[in-house]
Amino acid sequence: MNLKRIKAITRKEFIQIIRDPRSLGMAIAFPMLLLTLFGYALSLDVDNVPLVIWNQDKSQVSQDYILNFKASPYFKIVGYSDNYKELQSYVDKNKAFMILVIPPDFSSLINSKQSAPVQLLVDGSDSNTATIAIGYVTAVTAGYNRKLAIDSLSHLGVRDITPVDMRTRIWFNQDLKSRNFIIPGLIAIIMMVIAALLTSLTVAREWERGTMEQLISTPIKPRELILGKFIPYFVIGFVDVLIAILMGEFIFQVPLRGSVVLLFILSSLFLTGTLTMGMLISIVAKKQLLASQMAMVTTFLPAFLLSGFVYSIANMPTIIQAITYIVPARYFITILKGIYLKGVGLEILVIPVLFLSVFAFVVVNLATMAFKKKVT
Amino acid sequence: MNTKNDITKAVEVSELEKKFGSFVAVDRISFQVNKGEIFGFLGPNGAGKSTTIRMLCGILLPTYGTGHVSGYDIIKEQKLIKQNIGYMSQRFSLYEDLTVEENINFYSGIYSVPADKKKERKEYIIRMAGLENLRTSRTGILSTGWKQRLALGCAIIHEPGILFLDEPTAGVDPIARQMFWKLIKDMAKRGVTIFVTTHYMDEAENCDRLALIYNGDIIATGTPNQLKTEFMKEDVLSISIPQPEEWIERLNKLNTIRETALFGTMLHAIVDNEKSATGSIKELFARDKAFDYEVRRIQPSLEDVFVSLIKSYNKKG
Amino acid sequence: MFERIRQIIIKEFIQILRDPRMRTLLFLPPIIQMIIFGYAASTDVKNIQMAVYDLDNTPESRDLVREFTYSDYFHVKHYIYTDRAAEEMIDKSDVNTVIRFNLGFGNDLNANRQAQAQLIIDGSDSNTAAVISAYANQIMERYSSRLLDKRVQVLLNRSIRFPKIDLRTRAWFNENLLSRDFFIPGVIALIVTVVTLLLTSMAIVKEKEIGTIEQLIVSPINSWELILGKLLPFALIGLFDILLVTVVGVFWFDVPIRGNLLLLFGSAILYLLTTLGIGLFISTIANTQQEAMMTAFFFIFPAILLSGFVFPIYNMPKLIQYITYVNPIRYFLVIIRGIFLKGVGIEILWPQMMALFALGIVIFTLSTLRFRKRLG
Repeated sequence: MNLKRIKAITRKEFIQIIRDPRSLGMAIAFPMLLLTLFGYALSLDVDNVPLVIWNQDKSQVSQDYILNFKASPYFKIVGYSDNYKELQSYVDKNKAFMILVIPPDFSSLINSKQSAPVQLLVDGSDSNTATIAIGYVTAVTAGYNRKLAIDSLSHLGVRDITPVDMRTRIWFNQDLKSRNFIIPGLIAIIMMVIAALLTSLTVAREWERGTMEQLISTPIKPRELILGKFIPYFVIGFVDVLIAILMGEFIFQVPLRGSVVLLFILSSLFLTGTLTMGMLISIVAKKQLLASQMAMVTTFLPAFLLSGFVYSIANMPTIIQAITYIVPARYFITILKGIYLKGVGLEILVIPVLFLSVFAFVVVNLATMAFKKKVT
Repeated sequence: MNTKNDITKAVEVSELEKKFGSFVAVDRISFQVNKGEIFGFLGPNGAGKSTTIRMLCGILLPTYGTGHVSGYDIIKEQKLIKQNIGYMSQRFSLYEDLTVEENINFYSGIYSVPADKKKERKEYIIRMAGLENLRTSRTGILSTGWKQRLALGCAIIHEPGILFLDEPTAGVDPIARQMFWKLIKDMAKRGVTIFVTTHYMDEAENCDRLALIYNGDIIATGTPNQLKTEFMKEDVLSISIPQPEEWIERLNKLNTIRETALFGTMLHAIVDNEKSATGSIKELFARDKAFDYEVRRIQPSLEDVFVSLIKSYNKKG
Repeated sequence: MFERIRQIIIKEFIQILRDPRMRTLLFLPPIIQMIIFGYAASTDVKNIQMAVYDLDNTPESRDLVREFTYSDYFHVKHYIYTDRAAEEMIDKSDVNTVIRFNLGFGNDLNANRQAQAQLIIDGSDSNTAAVISAYANQIMERYSSRLLDKRVQVLLNRSIRFPKIDLRTRAWFNENLLSRDFFIPGVIALIVTVVTLLLTSMAIVKEKEIGTIEQLIVSPINSWELILGKLLPFALIGLFDILLVTVVGVFWFDVPIRGNLLLLFGSAILYLLTTLGIGLFISTIANTQQEAMMTAFFFIFPAILLSGFVFPIYNMPKLIQYITYVNPIRYFLVIIRGIFLKGVGIEILWPQMMALFALGIVIFTLSTLRFRKRLG
C-alpha cells in the first residue's frame, strides 16, 4: 500500500468536495437542516391538542370537570359552542381535533350520584394523534372519577378505597419527548445521506469524465484508490456525527446516557459500511445519474422508512419485519437508541454490533472485487 | 528507469486481438516500435486505434495474442508497465475543478515522484506548457491548447521511457498543435519513445514510422516516405483549372483516371499511369475548350495513400 | 400551434415510454410507496410485548394481568422474577412493558386496602410509549371501576352509587383508527409530487444535456408551445397515478372515499400548477439530470417533512407554521384527506384550493419567465 498514492487521491477528493457547492451543501448544510427540522419543528409529541367544548349544562360541576382540561398542557381549548354544525365545521376545517360534549343533565346526574355520559368526538384521520389524545382524555376523566369517588366515600366516613394504585413509570424518556429518540436516530439518517448522495457519485463521476481511465493507466492499485476516496467522506461523516452529538447535547438537550466513546467507535463502524456501500454502487453504476438513483432506493429510503427511525419495527407486519433484518441502518438505530436513551454498553449491543461488522466486512470486499473487475 | 534487459524494441506486439462480443475491434495485428522513435498509429475513427493503445497500457485485456512494452508482458506484468509509461487519453483526463498546480501535485503523488524531485518536475512541466501565469487557475477555464499541454506534462511527470498518446490533438487549434508536436519531437530527441494515435493525416508526417490501421487490421507499415513511394501504386496528378468542380464528372469518365477529387482550389486525380492519364486529360481539355490549365505530377499525400490502400482493402473484401 | 404542441407531446410520451429508467420511475414508486405506507410505515401499536414481574403470584395479580391480555393489545412474552431481568429485557428491547406486583398485592386487595402495582414502559420510542400508556389507562379505568363497585358492596353491605363520568368516545372518519387510512391518501400527494416535479425537471434537463433543446429553439416553435408540450405529458401521468393510487387504495386497502372524485381531480390540477412550475424552475438551474435530481430532492424532502404528511403541523413552532403556508403540499394534503376521510366538499375546502391556485399562478409565472429568458 503506497501512502503517497493514497494521499494524492485523498487530497484531490477533498479539494473537489470543497470546491463543489452542491456537495458541500449536502455534506454540511443538509445534515444541519435535518437536525434543525427534527429538533425544532417536527415532533410526534401529542400536546396542545385543539379541543372545542359543547357544554350543555354550564353548571359549576361541569366547569370543574372542564378545568382539568384547561389546566392540562396536553389540551388547548380553542372554543365553546352550542351549535352542532359549528362544532362540526371546527373539525372539518381542522381547527379543532376533538369535541367534548357535556349533556344538559350532567350536574344533576352527578349530584344524584349517577353515571353521567360525556361524549368525546375525535377526528380520527390522524389515527396516531387520535389514539394518544383519547388516552389523555381517558386519563383525565379517570382522575376526575377517582376524585368523585373519594369525595363520595369520605362523606360516608370511608377513606380512600380505590382498589389498585397503578403507578406508571416511563423509563429513559420521562417527558415522552419524541425528539429524544428521533435526534439520535437522525445520526444514522445523516450518514445515509452522505453515503447515498455523495459517495455514490465519486467513482461514477470519474468514469463519466474519463479520469478513471487515466487513473487505471497509472500504477495505483484498486485498494489504494478505494481507500483514498473513502477517507475524505469518512472524515465528513465523522464531523457530521460530531455536529449531531453537539447539537443534540447543547441545543436540543437530548440526554446521552451511555458512553460517548462507544458511540464514536460504533458510528465509525457503521460509517465504514455505509460509505463503502455508496462506493460500491458508484463502481457498479458507472453513470452518476444511475448511481444516485440506486443509492437513494437501496440506502437512503430503507434507512428512513424501515430502520425503526420513525416507524417502530414492532408495529410492522411480520414479512416487512423480516426485510428490515437486511437494512443495516436498523442495527445502527438500535445502537443509537441504546446508547443515548438506555445508556447500555457493548454487552447488550452484541448482536447489532456483530451484524454491522459483518456488513462492513462484506461490503468492503465486494467493493474491492467489483472494482478490480471493472478495471480489467 | 527499469527496462527488463537492454531490449531495443520499446513495444512489440504479436497477433494482438480484442473482441467485444462478436465484434472484432482489433484483428490479430502485429508490429514493433523501436526505442526512441515516434511511432504513429493512423486510421479513421473506429479503426481500433484507441483499443490497441489501451491494451498496451494495461487498461484493457486482449482476447488473443501477446505484447511487450519495455520488455514487460502486457497481460502478466501490467503493474510494471504502468510504472514505466506515460498515458494521455483522448479526453485529456484532467480534473477540471482542480487548479493547474493541484493537478500536477496529484499526478506527482500518484506516480510516487520522490520528494527531492517533485518541485523540479513541477516547475519543468509548468515551463514546458507555458503555464507560468496560470498556475493557480482552475483547469476548467483553460483553453484546449493549454489543457493539452498540461495533460502531456502530467503524463511525463515521472519521466517515463515510453509515452502513449491517444488522439492528443483532437479539437486543438493548429498553432497549439504545432507547439505540441515540437514538444513531442524534443522528447523523442532525448530518447523517449512516443506511441501516438491520430486520424489527422498531416500530423502523421511528423512520425518516424507509421502503421495504417483500418477495420482492426494493419494495412501498411513504414516511414511516411516509404508509404508514399512504395505503397502507392498509382500516381497523383494535380490539375489546376478555373471552376474545377465543373470538370470532376467529365474527368472521372476517362478510363485512365481512377478518381478525381477537389483538393482546395485544385483537383487531385489518382491515375494508373502519369503519361497516359496526362495525355487523355489534355485531350479532354482541348476538346472542351478549357484554357489556362496546368497538369503536373505530385507526390501523393498520406491521405491519398490511405484512400488508395483502403480501396484495395475493401476490394479484397 | 396545437399541431406543434401535439407533436411535442407525442415525442415526449414516446421518449418516456421507451426509456426503461423512466418506465420504472413511473410505475415502481407508486406501488412501493403504497406497500410501504399501507403495510410497513404504521403508527398503529399492536402486539405490545409485555413481561410479567409477579412476586405475588395470587389469583388477584393474575386477574389483573388477564385484564391486560384480554384487551388484545398486550401480549405476555416473559415471566421474570428479578430487577436485573426487567432491566435487561427492556435494555435489549425484548419487551417494552413490564407489569410488576410486589408480594402482598393479593392480600391488600382482599383486605380492602389499596394495593400497589407498577407499570414500566420503555420510553425510548415516545410515541409508542404514549400509546401504550393510553391503552393501559383505559384498561385500568375499566378494571378499577369494576373492582370498586364490588368492594363498596362488600364494605358497606349495600351497593352505593357513585357519581362518575361515563366517557363515550367516537372516532370520526376513521372509526378503527387505522394509520393506513391516514397515510395512503397522503401517498397520492407524495407520488404526484415526485412524478411531476422530479421527472419533469429531469426530462427537460435531459434535452439540455444531449443538445436537442437547441434544435428545438431554432425551429418555428415558440416557448409557450415548448413548455406546454413538455409539461402536459407529466401532468397527464400525474393524474393517471392519482387514479391508480385511489383505485388500489379503495379496493385493496379499503380506504374510504367519502367525497367527490371530481373535486379531487380538480384540486390535483391546481396542485400540478405548483409542482410543474417548480419542476420547470429546477430545469433552469440544473445542467445535468444528476443535478436536477439532487436539487429536486433537496426541495421535496424538507417540503414533505413540513407538510403534515407524517408530523402534524399544529404542533410545530409558530415560525415554522408560517413557513408551511407557502408549502403547496400542505394544502393538497388537507384537500386529499378532506375528500377521502371527511367527505367534505368545496364549501369547506375552498381556502385550500384558493391557496393552491394563488401559489400555482405565482410559481408557474415566475418559472416560465425564467425559462423563456434562458431559452432566448
